[in-house]
Amino acid sequence: MATASETTLVRAHNESATKWWTRFLDPSERTLAVLLLLPTALLLSLIIVYPVCRLVWTSFQNLSLTSGAPATFAGIENYALMLEDPVFWETTWNTVLITLITVPGALLVGMALALMANLPFKRKWPVRLSLLIPWALPLAFAGLIFAWFFHSEYGVVNDVLRRLGFEGVIWFNSAKWAFAAICLTIIWKTSSFMALIILAGLQTIPRSLYEAAEVDGAGRLRQFFEITLPLLKPSIVVALIFRTITALQTFDIPFTMTRGGPGTSTATLAMYIHQNTVDFLDLGYGSALAVVMFALSMGVTAVYLRMIRAKG
Amino acid sequence: MTLNKTMKLLLAGVAVTLSTSAAMAQTNLRVFVSSQHRPDVWRKAFDMYEAKNPNVKVTIETGGNTSEAQAQYLNTVMTAKDSSLDVMILDVIRPAQYAAAGWTVPFNDVLGDANAAMKRYLPAYAEANTVDGKVVALPAFADAMFLYYRKDLLEKHGVQPPQTWDELAAAAKKVTAAEKDANLQGLSFQGKAIEGAVCTFLLPYWSMGKQLVSDGKLSFDKDAAVKSLKLWKDFVDQGVAKKNIAEVATDDTRKEFQAGNVLFAVNWSYAWGQFQGGESAVKDKVGVVKLPAVQGGQPASCLGGWEWGVSAYSNNKTEAQKLVQYLSSPETSEFMAINASLLPQFPDVYTDQDVTKAVPWFASARPVVETAKARPVTPRYNEVSDIIRTTVNAVLAGQSTPEEGATQMEGRLRRVLR
Repeated sequence: MATASETTLVRAHNESATKWWTRFLDPSERTLAVLLLLPTALLLSLIIVYPVCRLVWTSFQNLSLTSGAPATFAGIENYALMLEDPVFWETTWNTVLITLITVPGALLVGMALALMANLPFKRKWPVRLSLLIPWALPLAFAGLIFAWFFHSEYGVVNDVLRRLGFEGVIWFNSAKWAFAAICLTIIWKTSSFMALIILAGLQTIPRSLYEAAEVDGAGRLRQFFEITLPLLKPSIVVALIFRTITALQTFDIPFTMTRGGPGTSTATLAMYIHQNTVDFLDLGYGSALAVVMFALSMGVTAVYLRMIRAKG
Repeated sequence: MTLNKTMKLLLAGVAVTLSTSAAMAQTNLRVFVSSQHRPDVWRKAFDMYEAKNPNVKVTIETGGNTSEAQAQYLNTVMTAKDSSLDVMILDVIRPAQYAAAGWTVPFNDVLGDANAAMKRYLPAYAEANTVDGKVVALPAFADAMFLYYRKDLLEKHGVQPPQTWDELAAAAKKVTAAEKDANLQGLSFQGKAIEGAVCTFLLPYWSMGKQLVSDGKLSFDKDAAVKSLKLWKDFVDQGVAKKNIAEVATDDTRKEFQAGNVLFAVNWSYAWGQFQGGESAVKDKVGVVKLPAVQGGQPASCLGGWEWGVSAYSNNKTEAQKLVQYLSSPETSEFMAINASLLPQFPDVYTDQDVTKAVPWFASARPVVETAKARPVTPRYNEVSDIIRTTVNAVLAGQSTPEEGATQMEGRLRRVLR
């Protein structure tokens, strides 16, 4: 921190400068800040602000490549169309449901994995490595691998079920089972990311706290709820933000496992956006759908950020 | 050496270099071929072209195993205005859409008299590739759906190839009951939410004499739609088709029949070549006839076939068009019929001696192709297709009843085909 007298000195110096370019040689803190942030701000506006504005603009247009006609302004037509589109509601509901199931699911499994990985193993690397593998696997690979696991005839899941004396399930022939298979896959795939963040949080908790608690006679469970959990809260919130946003954007796993089937019962909003833009080439409607998803993600992020601020 | 002489020599050298490089100039053409249509045999056709045109080198690009997966890829390439592809093979339902998007180069200028040129083809293909008088693509091969059956098993149990779907169900039940083979399916067809499922729905629907679109307007017959969906669902419920038929794509039907696990199969002509191939368990045990009809209806088949289009973003449009004219010639058609059992797009090739020797049933296939019905031609076809195939899939999976399916289908189709 600059002291008060230093700041006055800098300002006096700046005011005494006669030529404008000397400001660059000896900038005030504010100018320096602006100069340093400028490249990032420009880059961000190029790769984020511009595409988002363009997306919102396209969403108010009638722009379909299959019509052969040039784009025309459509007002809120695309949004009005959306309200009475049953597939939009179905895919949005599926997305919300996937979020509500897989985010807490991944948190629980991830927490358990992190606590196990934090145990004092002699060799740490095999544990850490096995934590990393699901996270490092591309989503589409995970989807394809699990599609084979859950295949009704050749899949390992049904094989195990049959060996245990149950009847195999035709997973992708029923909305409920297909949905369950997708959620299980997403939880498997994403809990390692949760575990990694929570593990990092766990390692910042000083051992001395546990030692003190032990001296005071607190049991393992008590230690977990009184020390571990409260001190982990910031890491958990960060992990939840990331996980929830990616859950709202779920695409790869259902796309590779079921393509949204049977019917459209496991299609997500992201898949519907992809279908409208890439398959149907209806860029106007697809953009309107994407704006809705953008608003959803922003809303959820705002809620979490408020939670953090309230805690802080 | 004087300065003048040196200059002359230098100039001569430059001239020689320039002229040789012009003669050596090679055009590299990149062609997208659908993986299910024997890219290995197309490669041989390209090799023959390269031999005749040493300045052209053709590279094959392939990918995806269904028509939609390939369309998704090509849509991405074309929306990005990517010049890396020069020629692409398109499912018969797509040239109209690609022309509307301005993605293909018309052939009118290179064909001379375009009308006369297109008259050589089967009429359905001249029509599918002409949009507002412009020839937007040239036919690669024809196709239609057929009923394949196990000749050996039908003979063994004294059953004739069925004329109606009811006869098929009865025959399948009789043979599978007698064979007592848990792996033997009575009938395999396409229930997965893929392009083939659109034809699955339309086969009985058309057989009842109904049309989906008439004069550009939706002419949906709900009763016929319910009956069509119910026909397929009954096959599943009666055990004629396997329970997870909603997972079966076109090539799954082909593979399962080829492995000897299917009695009757609904499939396109390409399957024949593979059934008769070295890796087939059913070689010489396969019969093929036109598809059954509904009781009291006419047999109907779905018009297939693929077309060659030249990308509007290609840097070698002239060479690409020349290549496509070669690919869409009677000679290439004959070669592909003999070596890949792809149905010819020219009426005369069906009765060509070499062709009938290699694929005897092609002679009887021509009337089927000629009467096969085309799926609705509309630039918004992808949406129409999605509505039909997801409904078929949902009904077969037991997700909705045939009645619910037909109602949903009608409501959604009305939004697209207003």
